Amino acid sequence: MHSVYILDYKVKTSQGDTKQTLKAIKDTDIDISYKEVSTLNESVKIPYYLFEEKSSESVSAIKKIIKDIVIQIAKTLSDEQKADTVLFVGTSLVDTHLVEAVESTVYDYKKKPYTSAKKSIDSFACEISDELGLHPYTMTISTACTSSMNALLEAKNLIGSGVVKHAIVIGVEVFSQMMSDGFSSMKLLSGSIQKPFDISRDGLVLGEAVAGVLLGSDTSEWSLLGGYSNCNSLNITSVSPQGDEYAEVINRAMELCNVKTDDITAIKAHATSTLTNDLSEINAIKKVFSPDVVFTTLKPYVGHTLGACGVLELAMLISCIDDGFIPKTINHEKSIIDEYVPLLNHKPCEDGTFMLNYFGFGGNNTSVLVKKEIR
Amino acid sequence: MKLYVKAISSFSGDIDAKALKGELKTKYSLDTRRQDSFIHLAVYGAQLLKDKTEISPLDELFITSGVGNIDVLQRTNKYVCEEKDFIKPFDFINMLGNTTSYYVSVSLGLRDKNIFEISNRFTYINTLISVFTSLNSSKKDAILGAIDLATNPKEVIKRVLGVDEEVDVTSSVNYQKLSLKSKDAIGEIEFDMKFYTYDEILSVVENAQCKVITSMRCTKLKNNNTGAYFETIPSSFVNQALQNKTDIIYIDCFEERYKFVKVSAFR
Repeated sequence: MHSVYILDYKVKTSQGDTKQTLKAIKDTDIDISYKEVSTLNESVKIPYYLFEEKSSESVSAIKKIIKDIVIQIAKTLSDEQKADTVLFVGTSLVDTHLVEAVESTVYDYKKKPYTSAKKSIDSFACEISDELGLHPYTMTISTACTSSMNALLEAKNLIGSGVVKHAIVIGVEVFSQMMSDGFSSMKLLSGSIQKPFDISRDGLVLGEAVAGVLLGSDTSEWSLLGGYSNCNSLNITSVSPQGDEYAEVINRAMELCNVKTDDITAIKAHATSTLTNDLSEINAIKKVFSPDVVFTTLKPYVGHTLGACGVLELAMLISCIDDGFIPKTINHEKSIIDEYVPLLNHKPCEDGTFMLNYFGFGGNNTSVLVKKEIR
Repeated sequence: MKLYVKAISSFSGDIDAKALKGELKTKYSLDTRRQDSFIHLAVYGAQLLKDKTEISPLDELFITSGVGNIDVLQRTNKYVCEEKDFIKPFDFINMLGNTTSYYVSVSLGLRDKNIFEISNRFTYINTLISVFTSLNSSKKDAILGAIDLATNPKEVIKRVLGVDEEVDVTSSVNYQKLSLKSKDAIGEIEFDMKFYTYDEILSVVENAQCKVITSMRCTKLKNNNTGAYFETIPSSFVNQALQNKTDIIYIDCFEERYKFVKVSAFR
């Protein structure tokens, strides 16, 4: 298998573009907006990390935000390189094309004349790939919160097997009334702020984001060592409180990458700030690592961006390390486990081996290792 | 790229949702609650595969589809967007793509890799490529499921399949257990990354040593595939060829680009 490197990254979050998001993290100067969601009896306003400009669930709006990021990433590639670059998307977005088909058919007052064109959740990737002259192979992966990180691992397999030279991997999530109401129905949303691994945590705050990375076989300071992804859980929404399933995926990722616990400079935890996930995750960290392990969380800066969080949080971590620090965990006062406290101050760091963990609904768990070597 | 096929299962036709659910409950003793027709179809096909071959907990699982779980989206859209009712938690969960692969995984006793993926053009063939490169890295075996559900009215799915209004569409589920190793294989599937032009695919047709089947999308080629349509139909033809111990080339087309799979059945 060929080695695979991370050649470039770009993000767009509630805090702005790549540079603005980095500045917001560095200065701990975070903007949060609000949105209405439905509960059983009423509509309530919840905190939500929204793009500066109002986004829309329309096909054209979603395509535009994905395309803007792909253009930024693809601009370093020659036409010849673009033709050998595949496009992967990871998302948990509802397929807007299908919604349009339902509404145009089923409801008399929305009825439209019959037209048919092949569409799916992968149409965004498909159309953008054609418009930018990329390789026509595209793939959209939907595995809840692990979507874009699983897309990254699938893209790595294609490059590692020598099938293509480059891959652009995008994670995307925009405000969706249906998804927000769904999280609300499961009582997983915080009414205030995310408090990762804190004893007083009360839920997640959703966020909009699009992020992309360019993978390739050309060497760079950042290498994608690999990872492990599986489906193993207690039920469809959670693992055991002891975190055995998370510990298994963490251990297996290290084994596959020939990395030992002592080699790890820091962990980027999934940390949704929900009661069950954070308990399972910190117990898993305790099972695998000694108390001096450095672990941190990024969701309080940009929200839980669901299918986008894989690539987004990878790009955010890389951005911070490239700027010389491991970002601290904000909104944390007292840990669930006294001996295991997330990083509470930005820590100087320029290189090392980093673990990124993602755990989602549907039992999908993914742990990935990346390494920065200053050349 | 080449994958060996260890076992197959297929089920096609307009499904009776109640009967399918009943079969899962009575024949396979599976819990069908909080699921829907798309998930039931996926799980049913998986059980048919399990009847025929040994499944390892470490087999990787790939599920693909033309458009995904249309059933839950159509139903939820009606009561949430039109009737302004509150979304039910399990409808919300079932709208996530990997919910289907989760239930398949649980029903087969799998606990390794589990991917739900869609490629707008050639979703089945592109997923074969995913499977190949994944197994190249992991050295395991994989189970590939291709699921399409045609709900009522069928016009909904026809609108996103790129088919004429008069084309008949149907539901289908097809599974293959795939490996890089030939031991105990019943056949092999060959495919590649290349997207072929019309002239190039004509050359493939002219040089074919076996029966060539073309998708109804291949309007420039002689279409000899007249059954009801579903997006993952190549998966069904792969299984039919292996079942009948015949060799075939299946050609699909999307916006003047062609791809094909070559199936060789071991006799």
